[in-house]
Amino acid sequence: MKKALNAIGNYFKNIGIAFVRGDVWVKLSAVLMGAGYFARKQVMNGIIMFLVEALFAVLCVGYAAPNLAKFGTLGTVQFEQVFDPLTMTSTVNDYDNSFLILLNSIMALFLILVFVLFWIANMKAVYRLQVQKENGEHINTFKEDVQALFNEKFHITLLTLPTIGIVLMNILPILVLVAVAFTNYDQQHMPPSSLFTWVGWSNFKSLFTDSVTVTFGYSFKKVLTWTLEWAVLATFTTYIGGILLAKFINNKKTKLPKMWRTLFIIAIAVPQFVTLLLVRNFFADSGIVNTFCTNIGITDFLKNVGLVPANLSYIPFLTNPGWAKVMIVIINIWVGIPYQMLIATGVLMNIPEDQIESARIDGANPLQIFVKITMPYMLFVTGPSLITDFVKNINNFNVIYLLTQDVYVTSDQLLANSNAKEIDLLVTWLFRLTNEYYNYKMASVIGIVVFIICAAFTLVTFTRTIKGDKEEEFQ
Amino acid sequence: MKKKVLATILATAMTVGCLTGCGGGAAETPAAEAPAAEAPAAEEPAADAPAAEEAPAVEAPAAAAEGTDPIANLIAATTGTVTLKVWASEEDQDLTTKLLDEFKASYPDVTFDITLGAESESTAKDTVLTDVEAAADVYSFADDQINELVKAGALQEVAANYTFDVVNENATGAVEAAAVDGKVYAYPMTADNGYFMFYDSSVFSESDVQSLEKMVEVAGAAGKKIAMDISNGWYIYAFFQGAGLELTLNDDGLTNTCTWNAAGGTDVAQAILDLTASNVLVDMNDEDMATQIAEGNVAACVNGTWRAETAAEAWGDNYAATKLPTFKAGGKDCQMSSYSGYKLVGVNPHSANVGWSMLLAEFLTNEAAQTARFEARGLGPSNLAAASSDAVQANPAISALAAQAAYATPQRVGGNFWSPAETLGQILASDNPDGTDLQELLDTTVEGITAPVE
Repeated sequence: MKKALNAIGNYFKNIGIAFVRGDVWVKLSAVLMGAGYFARKQVMNGIIMFLVEALFAVLCVGYAAPNLAKFGTLGTVQFEQVFDPLTMTSTVNDYDNSFLILLNSIMALFLILVFVLFWIANMKAVYRLQVQKENGEHINTFKEDVQALFNEKFHITLLTLPTIGIVLMNILPILVLVAVAFTNYDQQHMPPSSLFTWVGWSNFKSLFTDSVTVTFGYSFKKVLTWTLEWAVLATFTTYIGGILLAKFINNKKTKLPKMWRTLFIIAIAVPQFVTLLLVRNFFADSGIVNTFCTNIGITDFLKNVGLVPANLSYIPFLTNPGWAKVMIVIINIWVGIPYQMLIATGVLMNIPEDQIESARIDGANPLQIFVKITMPYMLFVTGPSLITDFVKNINNFNVIYLLTQDVYVTSDQLLANSNAKEIDLLVTWLFRLTNEYYNYKMASVIGIVVFIICAAFTLVTFTRTIKGDKEEEFQ
Repeated sequence: MKKKVLATILATAMTVGCLTGCGGGAAETPAAEAPAAEAPAAEEPAADAPAAEEAPAVEAPAAAAEGTDPIANLIAATTGTVTLKVWASEEDQDLTTKLLDEFKASYPDVTFDITLGAESESTAKDTVLTDVEAAADVYSFADDQINELVKAGALQEVAANYTFDVVNENATGAVEAAAVDGKVYAYPMTADNGYFMFYDSSVFSESDVQSLEKMVEVAGAAGKKIAMDISNGWYIYAFFQGAGLELTLNDDGLTNTCTWNAAGGTDVAQAILDLTASNVLVDMNDEDMATQIAEGNVAACVNGTWRAETAAEAWGDNYAATKLPTFKAGGKDCQMSSYSGYKLVGVNPHSANVGWSMLLAEFLTNEAAQTARFEARGLGPSNLAAASSDAVQANPAISALAAQAAYATPQRVGGNFWSPAETLGQILASDNPDGTDLQELLDTTVEGITAPVE
């Protein structure tokens, strides 16, 4: 923490030094960016700097200013269109598109930030040149500068494109989505035909409050609970299942291990959505499994035990909250185990044979070996991937949505009133809100909450698993 | 050096991967900015007087004002290639391709570049509203989406007709379904999207199918089931509307007014409970219905024309269809209502060629096109002349729909209706497992249905 503060302090101190000790050319560079380079006879560098500054000025006037001017209101001119029946053409007024204003403003702000950093870097570079000149050191020619980009500064060349990619494709969209959470962007305010505007924290408030008609808070708690339950169940069942399956297949007594492994991998090769939709049909109320269960009397048995309501003639595999939750976890085990088996197979093969050998000589039974040697080794190696799996399961859209969409109807009226279902994860609820109800602002709020949960969990667990000399401990 | 070159290539590849892979929606947005800048010219919209000529803020281009024949004007004003994007459902592709060719042939002086995409009528709204400016110029959709589409500015008002009289040549119900606040926003294409009763006439007589109680009795005796998707707002509406309770869309076009919890509401809920208690009238979704009809377990079902083939195949000569029956609520016989359903063709106001789009929409929905659509796919025409043909009259499903039309209402409901209504149906069809007081049940449902859209 202190280190970081020091670094920031030094960063700004250096600019101060550049300003105070810099000669007239350095000072002039603050306004006219190429000046310092011209003074040291780096003409090409000077021209490039000047062009960058000119380009920035043009963008400021032509792009940033008009958008940022409307950033406070996100637009005021409503879309209007008039059609002339005689010429069969229509005229559209010069309307504001709130979403584009938001998007462009954020890009403009980002552009300005980048320019400021660039300007600071320029000041420092120009001052460094002055110092080099004063000390009589060699000053690079343009050619040497370019060559440097392929030698000692190669990392800059290498990382430029990926950085631009990440900024454009990840950082900016995320910033826009975060901003949407503070607006009233929903079905009533959909650009281009209508405008939306800033509403502050009110969306967050409605997520955590119950009122008579808006049951968002109630639903949020329910959905969040099930999301976490699901993530824990799904992660651990497939993890343990995968290891056990790999152990069984690797066992010396297993015949044709390669065939079994291939069979399980074929399950991966079939696209997940195909399998899931098929499984959904198998377990439908009048699906093949139900017909089978009715014919051999399982349905009646379950009715007698009380697991199936007496008024049903089928087992509500995917239509009753309790049944559906269990089924989803079981189906997920079936879908997810082959992946874990693959990982586990690889890791198991790397367990030092001598450890197991010596344990065996010491008289440990297979279970003890599994618990004391295999599992700790597995956990040590696959710990980070286990954490990633957990986060992935929090956002496991496919399994839940494909298994229950169009099939599952909630019987909890309060959930229904905010378009949620018992088996919804935060992410499937979010999808329904955006895709079917265009409630972008609430979806954005939920998205932020999901992010915070995932980020917090990952941070805590990662630091815990990596902290200390875990490797030593294991040895 | 070689290593560095390789590394550079890899880094570039990574970036490109990032651009194409994770980019998706975000990457496209900036491009959408462009079309907004173009603004041709226009006059006041004139719903009742198409020829009126007030010119507000923007002046009309000089060339356009010369002629009085709009189509001639349009052809004269068209210089370059007319690029249009059309969306029709997957099943309608062949027919639409044929119609598009005919359309092109009828304007030999104009070069068209028309692309046809597949988009189901039932999901058109979702796709269009994702990005109105990037949506098709002409698209077909189910009439229940019209409010949201108009609200989002995704439909061009049908301010004038050019090749035929859309309002008077189509069934009144269809035109009503294509209108919002008295203004027509779309061109009716089919009148077959509602629901009615299919039945096996070897099980039920014509007098049996008049009353749902009688049907349940007959089917129960025959060991058959009657299927209806009760846990679905679209169908459960039939009971409540039939009993005279109200569900309407408010003027804001988004929220609902609902009186299902008013006096008489609990009678309807009780009626549904009683009807389903025998396990003869069963709650079943469309997919399951198809299997169960084929397996011979279901002898009657409430469904729409899209299931006609399944039923006709399973029941053969005994396949019959009629209007929905009556049911008893609070000791009184009530005729079940229904949602009438129409498929419509709309024009995107953000189209660069609004004029041509309107002409094309007219072409895709005129009498000839509707007749062709009935012949090719058995879809009931909304065009009066096309609907009066003998072939259409002889189709049992379409005539049943026509009989139900008297009790049907166009679907005008806000998005908050579906989820609570679905849950109400689910609870009633599963015999109210928690034993909730019916009035309380309805109160909560209505609360959800009438909730403000926020």
